[in-house]
Amino acid sequence: MSSKVVGQSVPKIDAATKVRGQRKFPQDFNMEGQLYAKVVWSEYPHARVSKIDLSQAEALPGVVAILTSKDVPVNEYGINIMDQPVLVGEGEKVRWLGDRIAIVIAESEKIAQEARQLVRVEYEPLPVVTDPREAMKPDAPLIHEERGDSNILKHIKIRKGDIEKGFAEADVIIESYYLTPHVEHAYMQPEAGVGYIDEQGRVTVIAAAQWSHDDLHQISHMLDLPLDQVREIVPAIGGAFGGREDMYIQHLLALCAYCVRRPVKMVFDREESVMRTGKRHPYYMKYKWGATRAGKLTAMEMEIISDAGAYASTSVPVLSNSASFAAGPYVVPNAKVDAYTVYTNNAVTMAMRGFGSTQPPVAYESQMNKLAEALGMDPVELRMKNLLEDGSIALTGNPMPPGVGVKETLRQTALAAGWKEEDGVWIKPGPGLPSAPYKRRGIGVACGYKNVGYSFGFDDKTRAIVELALDESGEIARALVKLGASDQGMGAHTALAQIAAEALGIDYEKVRVALVDTSVVPDAGSCSASRHVYMSGNAVIRACQEAARKREEAIQRGERRVSAEYEYHGRSVRPTTPYDDENGMCDPHIGYGYASQIALVEVDVGTGQTEVLKVWAAQDVGKAINPEMVKGQAGGGVHMGLGYALTEEFIQKEGLIKTRRFSEYHIPTVADMPREFIPLIVEVPDPTGPYGAKGVGEMTTLPTAPAIISAIHDAVGVWIDNLPATAEKVWRAMQVRS
Amino acid sequence: MLTLKMFLNGQEVSVDVEPGELLADVLRDKLGLIGTKISCGEGECGACTVLVDGKAVDSCLYPVLKAQGREVITIEGLGQDNRLDTIQQAFVDKTAPQCGYCIPGMVISAKALLDENPHPTRKEIEEGISGNLCRCTGYYQIIEAIELACERLAEEGGTG
Amino acid sequence: MLEARGGEARIIAGGTDLVLQSQRGQCLAKAMVDITRIPGLDHIEERDGLIYIGAQVTHGQVAASPLIRSRAGVLAEACGSVGGPQIRNVGTLVGNVVNALPAADGAIALFALDAEAEVAERAGRRWTPIATLYAGVGLCTVDPCTAMITQLRFRALGKGEVGAFERLAKRRALVLPILNTAAIVGLDGDKVEKARIAIGPVAATPFVATEAAEVLVGRTPDEASVTEAAELAAQAAQPRDSLLRGSAEYRKAMVEVLVRRALWRAVEGASLQEGEDANS
Ligand SMILES: Cc1cc2nc3c(=O)[nH]c(=O)nc-3n(C[C@@H](O)[C@@H](O)[C@H](O)COP(=O)(O)OP(=O)(O)OC[C@H]3O[C@@H](n4cnc5c(N)ncnc54)[C@H](O)[C@@H]3O)c2cc1C
Ligand code: FES
Ligand code: FES
Repeated sequence: MSSKVVGQSVPKIDAATKVRGQRKFPQDFNMEGQLYAKVVWSEYPHARVSKIDLSQAEALPGVVAILTSKDVPVNEYGINIMDQPVLVGEGEKVRWLGDRIAIVIAESEKIAQEARQLVRVEYEPLPVVTDPREAMKPDAPLIHEERGDSNILKHIKIRKGDIEKGFAEADVIIESYYLTPHVEHAYMQPEAGVGYIDEQGRVTVIAAAQWSHDDLHQISHMLDLPLDQVREIVPAIGGAFGGREDMYIQHLLALCAYCVRRPVKMVFDREESVMRTGKRHPYYMKYKWGATRAGKLTAMEMEIISDAGAYASTSVPVLSNSASFAAGPYVVPNAKVDAYTVYTNNAVTMAMRGFGSTQPPVAYESQMNKLAEALGMDPVELRMKNLLEDGSIALTGNPMPPGVGVKETLRQTALAAGWKEEDGVWIKPGPGLPSAPYKRRGIGVACGYKNVGYSFGFDDKTRAIVELALDESGEIARALVKLGASDQGMGAHTALAQIAAEALGIDYEKVRVALVDTSVVPDAGSCSASRHVYMSGNAVIRACQEAARKREEAIQRGERRVSAEYEYHGRSVRPTTPYDDENGMCDPHIGYGYASQIALVEVDVGTGQTEVLKVWAAQDVGKAINPEMVKGQAGGGVHMGLGYALTEEFIQKEGLIKTRRFSEYHIPTVADMPREFIPLIVEVPDPTGPYGAKGVGEMTTLPTAPAIISAIHDAVGVWIDNLPATAEKVWRAMQVRS
Repeated sequence: MLTLKMFLNGQEVSVDVEPGELLADVLRDKLGLIGTKISCGEGECGACTVLVDGKAVDSCLYPVLKAQGREVITIEGLGQDNRLDTIQQAFVDKTAPQCGYCIPGMVISAKALLDENPHPTRKEIEEGISGNLCRCTGYYQIIEAIELACERLAEEGGTG
Repeated sequence: MLEARGGEARIIAGGTDLVLQSQRGQCLAKAMVDITRIPGLDHIEERDGLIYIGAQVTHGQVAASPLIRSRAGVLAEACGSVGGPQIRNVGTLVGNVVNALPAADGAIALFALDAEAEVAERAGRRWTPIATLYAGVGLCTVDPCTAMITQLRFRALGKGEVGAFERLAKRRALVLPILNTAAIVGLDGDKVEKARIAIGPVAATPFVATEAAEVLVGRTPDEASVTEAAELAAQAAQPRDSLLRGSAEYRKAMVEVLVRRALWRAVEGASLQEGEDANS
């Protein structure tokens, strides 16, 4: 079948309503007779709550209810481990600023706001632990006494080959210590929503969520209700990037509706969204790598410590991912990894674009660039000698499945950026003349890769329903795709509609994708791990095939409606396995996506400021279902990578958050973005993907920061191993050097 | 309560307001115009951008009483019935919206820019949207959309 | 009008500072008097070598004004760097002064221009140097509940007199500066006739580096004299360690860098004008 819809940049399914401002986001919903809720947040990063006095707040006219821990049937939740209290009661501990003491529900938002300030809470402060390296020590104050005698949540070991031997074979060894910071998701739509009891008596939540069916499990557990008594509806989502994989408002809305049996609306302001919700994990990474003079990697030793913050969230799976990617997309015979994730009193850390694959490139790509320098070898050439190919043995001992496109992404980016290649020898282009005498230019390169779909033996599955409406002649008049896949903005619904149109052989305009309403759509897993095109795409194709078959029968019977359902299992393609406890060997992931980028920067030697002038970004997406959407993901990925590298500094001190708003936490504006941006789409098909497609959402952000860091080094000769590379840090490094 | 009159999207409207209220809240909560978004509430993101007498302002910082007697245009005021206006159509054609939360503000900023300067340079376009944050797109397709809108407006002869 | 409210009403201009202050409980006024509808406060004009700017004039209007761009370019640069377009469309230059932050961009340029403000109060109107309006971080000596600043004025820059504005910030748009400076240099032939340098935020109020400026006067502006001035400015500046803005050490060092750059740009602009003069 020649593809007519797949591969075309059709307009996004929801673009027209979005440009008109008609698309409803959670804050845009209002219900008859609704009340308003506000949270009373913890004021301490670590303390015991000794007294909660509601009397003044309750006396305020218009206050309907104030919920405390006593009102929560089962006061615990958590996506991975149920270690979070919904509300913290007297005698219990707060462990970070995002813990909640009470929820005030009132007739108006203003009254709720006023009343929450009247709730008096007394605390007995406890020692605060903010550095995970300190928190690991045996005598560190415990964050979760109930969970054993250590703050270490997980330790993963990988032992491959013999590193002693490997380092002995090395001609150069590079050792460095890398730090990556907390990162705020900073989606533009703050948490909001409405909770109510629906016409069938179900506790219902309208909110932005990435995995509604998992939220349902947690909410039903919290309310001690059967699963079919809870419901979640996801309207338009104003960005997520992993930040809505955990619940930050869904369960609170459910609790409010459950307790007061009336619609309750809650909207976080930006300060709440920044201070009281999860972040990307900061990492402390100690790397030691060796290579021969010929440029072959011989050994790697890595210690990775991740700051889990006050609760587990997905820290363990995130760490698992990181450990599997610790070596980067390179072949290495001898390696040792020790990876830890540790509780602290810092902000809870969680999924964020990359899910543990974003931090390691900051280390592994700087290692490669430092090795290249030490060996006097071009950084592209050194990579070409070591990059993974189909069948290469990865860090965890598994062969890489077909479709490894990382070399191709690097080749295309390097050539586009002006590199010359002859017989495997690569020559870097000059960076050009700076725009002022006090500026220096530099050019830097980096690669990255990441899994698509869930990993480590977790069965990734997606269920999709396809419903067809036939016209008199039996032709498909309309197709409706139903699955629990939300669209956070990246275009999942558009891509799935394209895939359905292609599979059914009909026009794209005839396909609709149902909004997520758990009472209507089946579980499709989370909107994460760059997995929806790959996993849900496969489910949709098969459901469409089934529907097409049923259509023949329907025509014969004279029926006009067809419905088909299919559950697609990742393990039917490639079963994954968990880490071996002793040596870490496993087959971690179903599939992979790859990216390479090159950055051209100009550094001001007087101030240390870096301006990114140009970025070339290649991503191997297997097959671009919608090329313009892939470019959009690339632009967004570079935006986040640039913020990670240069502007986004999340500042905490003693567990208190100092960057509370957009005036203090600086995501890049249009003026910060490289004026020139060259996205390159590489298509090395994954034979198991829908039309060969892999994922794209996360890979585009992996190489940006290390490419910029390497370009800064090229420009002014300093390595910044501690992100972000603020002007002051670059300036200091230059002072030390001179 | 005071009664405020303004010319909203081409029509005179009266609405009862409290003195301290902000334009964004009145538009969203009292007039049901949810296309104006609130993201930061402090003038730092432009999601709430509307036109007041033709100038782009952050409605989350704009005391509603200042709008008394003035002409206010929100995203709902662009296009007609089911037709998108030229800028909106260019945003669709260039795949500019991702999550779309920043998009109404971006479209309004683009309109303010093009109404005043129908042939902006790339740099002027960047300046024109430098008060609008977007977390999804990296801004490239938004810039391309504004460039496309310029071309089409020039063909249509006028800024519409 | 303010008097009618017995000091409980406060002036509001663009509201870009005041709205946030009220929301955060930092302004307790019960009512607001909007001055953006009062006639006669929207002027940018030159009279007898002085430029007058009314209280309604926004940063955007200053930045776009041909008069300001040609006769006080340093102020156009400064106002053009404030916030983003939406903020510049409503925020006023006078509001920027009354808000009294040492980092305010417009105010820094006004200090370099040695501007004066006209204060209208019960007792009548008076002109006062803007420095007298500052009593500390965020503290203005004029109380917007009882008095009003109606306009600003300063001497238009003459021939051979040019200013330049430099700014350092955490990103490239929509952000308050961590450091800013405005420098004005007047040349007579190849000698500096006058110079003035203002720097923020390195003290509780916008800081005028008098010594640094004086060391230039009477000398040829060359590497040695400009460096000396920039170093003196850095020595005099007293930035504090700040988690959000950066260390004192860094910002002190940056004072030297920014002042040097501003001085050189001003000198180059001024010599160009002097050159043109000589040629004509
Ligand atoms: C997102 C954002 C970004 C910003 N970025 C910058 C920046 O980069 N650089 C910068 O310098 N500033 C910046 N600002 C602040 C800047 O907008 C204000 O300082 C502005 O200039 C104040 O003017 P206004 O008209 O809005 O004042 P208002 O908020 O209306 O008033 C400010 C104060 O002045 C008083 N007042 C106003 N006019 C008078 C008068 N005529 N007589 C007496 N009192 C008066 C008011 O009572 C109040 O106390 C930013 C603000 C925001 C919200
Ligand atoms: S919501 Fe108004 S500027 Fe951000
Ligand atoms: S499209 Fe999501 S914030 Fe711009």
